[in-house]
Amino acid sequence: MPVEAPTRERAPVRRQQQQRDFPWQVVVWNDPITLMSYVVLVLRRLFGYDQTTATKLMLQIHNDGKAIVASQPREQAEVSVSQLHAFGLQATLAHG
Amino acid sequence: MAEIVRRRGGTELRLDGRERELLLDIVDRLSAKLGTVPRSSPRAYEDPELEAEYQRLARPDFESTRLADIDLVRGGLAAGRDRILLADDQTLAWIRALNHLRLVAGGLIGIDADGWESTVDEATLARPEYDMLIALGWVQEGLVSAMSPAVDSVGEQED
Repeated sequence: MPVEAPTRERAPVRRQQQQRDFPWQVVVWNDPITLMSYVVLVLRRLFGYDQTTATKLMLQIHNDGKAIVASQPREQAEVSVSQLHAFGLQATLAHG
Repeated sequence: MAEIVRRRGGTELRLDGRERELLLDIVDRLSAKLGTVPRSSPRAYEDPELEAEYQRLARPDFESTRLADIDLVRGGLAAGRDRILLADDQTLAWIRALNHLRLVAGGLIGIDADGWESTVDEATLARPEYDMLIALGWVQEGLVSAMSPAVDSVGEQED
């Protein structure tokens, strides 16, 4: 009779791994003081977006109050948020 | 009159002595208020435990970078030259510093909604922080405009 592979014992480990690696969302919030042109520049600089994409994201931030500008593993998302803070933007992490 | 122009590999600010003196005074007055308005203490997480851990790790770098950026601006203004030449990485530092200072100015006069430029009341117009906000915005806008064509390639030569 075939022996069942021990998948059940490894499943929790896989789940933990998947949860840790699951993308976190980097959210930029609207701020009435920060210049629109500046937000576009920061998004291009930090995430490599082209002018058109960065402008669309900036307008989403402005019109909707916030926008997800990146989905990344947690450690990378924390770095992105800290870089956005260094540029003076209001940014948070949200679990996807 | 103040002027900001793109130069090969950098930016040039042309400011006369009076303009530099005014900007230096603004930098000194607003930098003394860093951390006194909510926007100048950004949060990363809603969860209190995650936020506390994030602040423990990230806050020292955040504050030291912000102070270094502001010191760069202060040093440029205090150098006594009508033409301030900034490499691209220095231009970015200036832009960051000006944004931090504008957040302070806006927070001190209670700006919390879009469209404030057209709805601001007389009392707010009379506040010195309002003039500071506008003055720094003019410089920041000029630097952003000058920097925009080059922003994708800053630092690439270091890689």
